[in-house]
Amino acid sequence: MSEIRLQVKNVSKSFGITKALQNVSFDIAKGEIHALIGENGSGKSTLTNSLTGIYQKDSGQFILDGVEVNPKNQVEANNEGISIIVQELGTLDGLTVAENIFLGHENKFVKCGIKNTGAMNRMATELLKEYGFDRIKASEMIEHYNFEDRKLVEIVKATYFGPKIVVIDETTTALSGEGREELYKQMKRIRESGNTVIFISHDLPEVLRLSDTITVLRDGVYIDTVKSSDVDEDGLKKLMVGREVSGEYYRADYGEKVSDEVVMRVKNVTVPGLISNVSFELHKGEILGFGGLSESGMHEIGKACFGASFDREGTVELQDGTQINDIPTAIAHSIAYTSKDRDNESLVMNQSIRDNICLPSLNTLANKLHLLSDRKLKKFAQKFAATMSTKMESVDQFASNLSGGNKQKVVLARWIGKDSDILLLDSPTRGIDVKVKQDIYQLMDKMRKDGKSIVMISEELMELIGMCDRIIIMKDGMVNGEIMRDKDMDENTLISKMV
Amino acid sequence: MKKTRETAGKKLSARTKGYLLLLLMVIVSWGIFKIITPDNFGSPKNMLSYFEASLLAAVGAVGFYFVMVMGMFDFSIGANIMLSAIVGCVFANRFGLGYVGLVVGAIITGALVGLLNGALYVKLRIPSMIVTTGLALIYESVANYIAGGVEQTLPSGLRAFGQMPGNIILAIIAFGVAFLLLNYTKIGTYTYAIGSNEFVAKNMGISVNKYKVLAFIISGAFLGVMAVLTISYGSSMVAVTGMASMSRNFVPTMGCFFGLAFKKYGMPIPAIIIGEFVINIIFFGFIALGAPTAIQDVITGFALLIIVMLTTKVAKGEIVK
Repeated sequence: MSEIRLQVKNVSKSFGITKALQNVSFDIAKGEIHALIGENGSGKSTLTNSLTGIYQKDSGQFILDGVEVNPKNQVEANNEGISIIVQELGTLDGLTVAENIFLGHENKFVKCGIKNTGAMNRMATELLKEYGFDRIKASEMIEHYNFEDRKLVEIVKATYFGPKIVVIDETTTALSGEGREELYKQMKRIRESGNTVIFISHDLPEVLRLSDTITVLRDGVYIDTVKSSDVDEDGLKKLMVGREVSGEYYRADYGEKVSDEVVMRVKNVTVPGLISNVSFELHKGEILGFGGLSESGMHEIGKACFGASFDREGTVELQDGTQINDIPTAIAHSIAYTSKDRDNESLVMNQSIRDNICLPSLNTLANKLHLLSDRKLKKFAQKFAATMSTKMESVDQFASNLSGGNKQKVVLARWIGKDSDILLLDSPTRGIDVKVKQDIYQLMDKMRKDGKSIVMISEELMELIGMCDRIIIMKDGMVNGEIMRDKDMDENTLISKMV
Repeated sequence: MKKTRETAGKKLSARTKGYLLLLLMVIVSWGIFKIITPDNFGSPKNMLSYFEASLLAAVGAVGFYFVMVMGMFDFSIGANIMLSAIVGCVFANRFGLGYVGLVVGAIITGALVGLLNGALYVKLRIPSMIVTTGLALIYESVANYIAGGVEQTLPSGLRAFGQMPGNIILAIIAFGVAFLLLNYTKIGTYTYAIGSNEFVAKNMGISVNKYKVLAFIISGAFLGVMAVLTISYGSSMVAVTGMASMSRNFVPTMGCFFGLAFKKYGMPIPAIIIGEFVINIIFFGFIALGAPTAIQDVITGFALLIIVMLTTKVAKGEIVK
């Protein structure tokens, strides 16, 4: 192994009775991209959050270039030469782009207590230009930019000062192809400069393609560190899960005829600025995929069909003629929707897992007097949390305390519990580990066989190809092609219609 | 379809739009009353006096903005103004410290009240509304005790801040300090950062509790300046009890709402100043009309709700709490 940059020595961390990390020890070299993989709740984010001062570890040591570091917050971590790009949004509304980049480091622009905003903006502008993000204006309020651009600002924020270690925590799933390429470019630049990237991702092909070394964690325990060149995808899955993951990852059937029965008819749906004149039919027992670039408008399809879009034109009609124009009507007619932005649009973060799972099913869970039984709610939540193998202390735990993947499991558990007939799933496997991904695919396949209809919106082309009966490709807010399930279909077929 | 990107780069026009909206509000509120009661309302001289009167609350509101933008609230601002004015008056009059006693006494009292509000809010970990409501009762009693139950009058020789140019100068200094703090110090950046996402702000190494307490202190100090202007303008202050001081909360709070509503235009402080002016135009318009107080209150309440609703213009889907 080349020169050691970071030694992780016997690091442990618990949340209540949950042991998130147990005596984890391994080394990370200088000038490498070191991937950290594991199932949801395996302790990857807890480890990197402890390293970057977001959490405080219970015991153990982080030794950076031979010196123990123990940052209390991200700024202290930055001062030690460690930075992080977090999974969810890490920039703050109400501040300019420049203020976000230098948040916590304003002192370099402060003289006699007065902040030199001009100098700060100039430096941020130079950095943005250097990174090739010229279109982002340093003096502009950050909220004027979309999720993707804000992530690019985070990349600048985390890397401009040449940190020795940059942690990239499950960031790629939030980015479109273009954004990912920018991130990959920065990762390689960091490696070439002799510094280190700790890369957390559930996308194993991506991990194998980009990283030099891979460390696997399972249930908070260190499992192994392997060279990327010495292992393949199946080998990694085995290390992560602890057993062979069967080859039946996606649906295996081809050529099955989809029912002619139309359960949802979408006609000329337009959402100003997002989608234009979209029409399609969803059949009983069908998995209909929507693919495209992140900004193609595909993420609005789910909302539009769920009655959650504003200023929507056109019609969304069910088999019985019911028009879906609002969310209560959609839910009342057995339609479920999971948003890509689970933290802000799908989960009630400061409520328990129980409440989150039971929320749309309260009417059916209430007794004749409309009273709710605590025991019944708990039992219901436990049942569906278990169905999704949610890693938690109990259903009384707050959703905010769950790892990213487990939050997604709670969202899915909610709608499985509701036993919806039409599921509009936007990025259902985003941030979900390989084992649960497989579980979700199998669940979707079972639902399809049970006659349920699914709209699957995804930026992961392989899962669209593997799971869908039909794939509609969106481009610039409009339908740009429709491809039927075929075992010879590959990513290039879809990409040619996406760009 | 990158709608959000297209909106970027419009800061200047947004600010101009904000100013135009405020100007429109001034013209409309003035125009309505001028049409109804042309003789005894809205002359240039009258307008100047309405503006002078509006400066009082505007000074308090710009300070209170630091607290509100962080997502906290203060129900003790009326009690603070009353206590600060009485202490300032006592320092100036009873202790013979003149203008220095009046200004320094009021500002320090206001800041100390802010410190107590902030410190208890942070330490007790209970909502700011509850903490400050409880403390308002205490401040009223302390003010009453200091005043000895007697109305405190500021001698005529110490009322320079109750008229031009003293009031304008003091108010301009206060606005300048608020503008500087908000735009050219770390305090301003951290105020918005904490208001946006406390958890992330904390992770950025910001001492959230420290800056929350600081926001209360700044707010208190500005309310102290407001107290100086108030007692100088009105010449005396009565130490009321039983939460009667709450009636003084309304006008600075409304001005603060203007600031929050116009934050998106990048001009909260001018919005607070002009917003308070609009409130005073409406208020004096009703006086000119001779409308009964109850009617005045009802119409003023509705007018302000409509103004804030129209100017806030929450984006579709945005959650309002």
